Amino acid sequence: MAMTDVSILGEFEQVVLLAILRLGDDAYAVTIRDEILQCTGRDVSRGSIYITLDRLETKGYLKSRLADSTPERGGRAKRYYELRPRAIEALKEGRRTLVALWRGLESVLT
Amino acid sequence: MTHQPRVLRLFARFVPGDLREPIAGDLHEEYLRIRQRRGTARAAIWLWWNAVQLALTFRWERAAHGRPLPPIADELRGFGSMWDGLRQDVVFGARMLRRQPAFTLVALMALTLGIGANTAIFSIVDAVLWRPLPYPSSSDVISLGEQRPRENRLHGPVAPADFYDWRRDNSTFSAMAAVEPAAVNISGGAEPERLRGVFVTPGFLDVVGSKPALGRDFTREEEIEGRHQVVILSDGFWRRRFGADPSVIGRKITLNEQPFDVVGVMPGSFWWPTTPDVLLAYITSGADASRAQHSMDVVGRLKPGVSFEQARADLDAIGKRLSEQYPQTNAAHFPHLSTLQATMVGDVKPALMVLLGAVGLVLLIACANVAMLLLARATSREREIAVRLAIGAGRGRLVRQLLTESVLLAVLGGAAGVLVAAWGLTAFRALLPSGLLVLPGIAQVGLDTRVLTVALAVSIGTGLVFGVIPSFAAADQRLAATLHQEGRSGSGGARTTRTRAVLVVAELALSLVLLVGAGLLLVSFRRVLDVSPGFESQNVIVASVMRSAPAPQALRFYETLLERVRTLPNVEAAALATPLPFVDVGGRTGFRIEGRTTQSPIPVRTRPRLVSADYFSTLRIPLVRGRVFTDRDAEGPPNVVIINSAAARRYWPDEDPLGRRIDISFAAQPRWMEIVGVVGDVKHAGLELDTDPEAFMPLRQPPFGGMAQRLNVVIRTRASASTIAPMVRSAVNEIDRNQPVGTVSTMEDLIAASVAPRRLNLWLVVAFAVIALVLTAAGLYGVMSYLVAQRTREIGVRMALGATRSSVLRLVLRQAGTMTVAGIGIGLVGALALTRFLATLLFGVTTKDPLVYFSVAALLAAVALLAAAIPSSRATRVDPMAALRS
Repeated sequence: MAMTDVSILGEFEQVVLLAILRLGDDAYAVTIRDEILQCTGRDVSRGSIYITLDRLETKGYLKSRLADSTPERGGRAKRYYELRPRAIEALKEGRRTLVALWRGLESVLT
Repeated sequence: MTHQPRVLRLFARFVPGDLREPIAGDLHEEYLRIRQRRGTARAAIWLWWNAVQLALTFRWERAAHGRPLPPIADELRGFGSMWDGLRQDVVFGARMLRRQPAFTLVALMALTLGIGANTAIFSIVDAVLWRPLPYPSSSDVISLGEQRPRENRLHGPVAPADFYDWRRDNSTFSAMAAVEPAAVNISGGAEPERLRGVFVTPGFLDVVGSKPALGRDFTREEEIEGRHQVVILSDGFWRRRFGADPSVIGRKITLNEQPFDVVGVMPGSFWWPTTPDVLLAYITSGADASRAQHSMDVVGRLKPGVSFEQARADLDAIGKRLSEQYPQTNAAHFPHLSTLQATMVGDVKPALMVLLGAVGLVLLIACANVAMLLLARATSREREIAVRLAIGAGRGRLVRQLLTESVLLAVLGGAAGVLVAAWGLTAFRALLPSGLLVLPGIAQVGLDTRVLTVALAVSIGTGLVFGVIPSFAAADQRLAATLHQEGRSGSGGARTTRTRAVLVVAELALSLVLLVGAGLLLVSFRRVLDVSPGFESQNVIVASVMRSAPAPQALRFYETLLERVRTLPNVEAAALATPLPFVDVGGRTGFRIEGRTTQSPIPVRTRPRLVSADYFSTLRIPLVRGRVFTDRDAEGPPNVVIINSAAARRYWPDEDPLGRRIDISFAAQPRWMEIVGVVGDVKHAGLELDTDPEAFMPLRQPPFGGMAQRLNVVIRTRASASTIAPMVRSAVNEIDRNQPVGTVSTMEDLIAASVAPRRLNLWLVVAFAVIALVLTAAGLYGVMSYLVAQRTREIGVRMALGATRSSVLRLVLRQAGTMTVAGIGIGLVGALALTRFLATLLFGVTTKDPLVYFSVAALLAAVALLAAAIPSSRATRVDPMAALRS
């Protein structure tokens, strides 16, 4: 069931998924981290990015492909990430939940 | 194309296979970006930090979530299992050592002695020779002396006037000071006490880089007579005498019956070899200072950035100018510079290096011994090892196992050795002659981390050295051969037998070298003791007394004391003298001979001595020509002098010195003294040293106007020192209650003290040689036992075929004999090559003394024969039937 899966998405997982979504077809670890830094100001550790990407892929939210090795990477391939539909669903579900809970709290929290 | 940072290749091994490539690529990409912005160094640091962090993250993440660990590269698996393997090896090795207690005990004993002796001697050598002096930038602290090429002297004391010129004219020293030890009496207040003092010129504390903890340093004005009555106390003396009272600054204390202002107290960290109680201002007479009397030790501190060579060139130029300006006094000597540390340890350095060499040899012998034990044990483990090889153990793995065992053994031996060293150092401190207490660092000799680290390193190194041959020998065996030898004891094979023989021969050779060294030192010591001091030293007692007062009073005091002492029971004769043999050697002074030009090729110098009339008869110094002093040699002319034979030989080689006149004052108006007698040479500083020319002057005709403040009372007695000493003390007290008597000792004790460092060195080397001999005998015994056991069957066959017991004995002893002869032969060559390092320590014997070599070789042969006798006689008792059946 999609519902139960979505509720598992952690906050950081959502952040990573959204960053990938924003990056389109240029989403690999380095750009993802940069994107998060740019949008949120959070300088997250590389380790947590990789671990989270690995976990999200195992859970079936992401698919990845290896592509073009370039000289500036010492001849090593890039691993690009892309959201599976499941991830889109989960993000939507997460947003819905939050928005519902936020409603009526604007005066308290802003 | 950019290069590949190595850390990435290493890193990749920690990361799961599917992620390895892209992550390493990401890191590389960012590394290049950072390198462009912030430079290579920062980028490299960044890369290392992140690579390590990531590697750890992955290991932890995968382990924590119960997912299979990423496949890691083979090298790393090898690395991890090496630690497991090592732990296994250690546990197994410990079990093997426990299972063979006799082997373990014998091996441990050899190692304990070897490593213990090395640790102890290393800690002494390290503290004395290798630690810097306790001064800030201590290598800049220089000792300045005089060299006299024509007298073959390198670093003698300096004349005051020369010191002033050096200090004023040099441009390379930030501070320079003269130092001279002094003995002073403190009186008033508590008990009168004899203090160790040191006269220093202002600037001394700058040289050693210290400051008074309380009060101030001396000022330049205070080296001028009249302003000089100021004193700085040592921390120890301040606590002992004044109970650490800070208000002592500005107080007056009475030193040598004169009031002195206490201006400072040194911190506890202040160190000077003579451990002075008080620092006194060196009274100098400025421009009138003597260039003929050489008494000052001079020290200086180099200016920052100035090299030793620059300082030497600077002083050389000054010395050259002085020798041109004052040819009479300065033509024959020049400044000589050396670091203060080198000057302080100069005399003991060769002895310490010899000791270090000796313990090194002991350790090598111990190594050879343990190697042989391991070889023997490896033979008994042949089958175990063969089985391991057969079921697939790698040879490398086996060698590692065996090496681990030997290192384990060595480390255990090292631990026991450290205990032995601690005990040995306690004994060493107790035996240390007082003459050696002035050595730098000697008080700090002990087992600190540095020494313990070296001990551990030596242990591990030792384990590898003695373990490596047996380990390879053991792992390198023919499998099938061993496995097929059902139930029969191992053969060892020709190669290990040869290895054993080589080890025994090496041990014998090393022992011989050590024994020759010990023998040469022993003979030297005997020769030194055989030297006559030039007087009869038995039944002579010496008391040193100090009386500081204007000359006439002091003289009256001493003459009254002498009268009292002469009337004491059991006193045969008594006299006064300064300096006295084996108490103080005294300085040297130049002198001129009436009617001779001063441009003599030999510097005309002598050691002046002041003695009372009966000095020569009391010590029984023979009169060679002329007369001794009488009571008529009193104040006023004619001034008389007696010289020793060394002076007569050197300065009047072809003529009669009697009636000639000399002057040591170098005053404008010469103060001629007529030579009235020549006496025999007396040893002053040490039995092994040549006697310098000496000039004796009557007590009532002191050459420099002043009167020596410190005189020694020499007493020839029929009673022991212990009964005389209190009587002398009470005689002094009766005359003046404020005078402390210094030490009272017998002349025999003083002579013994003068040879004490030599004696200590001798006994240490002898002790090491004995250890070496015992280890070697044990090694030879072990090898012979092994050879006999190995040949039991052969001997059985021989005996069954009719060989007699004596022919069997000959057979076995021949083997021992061959090894012994080879060992002694190689050892003799080694000794001939190595004993030259002993040369400076020898006396009356050359490094190639045939008698010593022969005796030592005979001793070693005898011990070897004894060691071989027991196993050989065992061979003759072999029961042919039993041997054949086995």
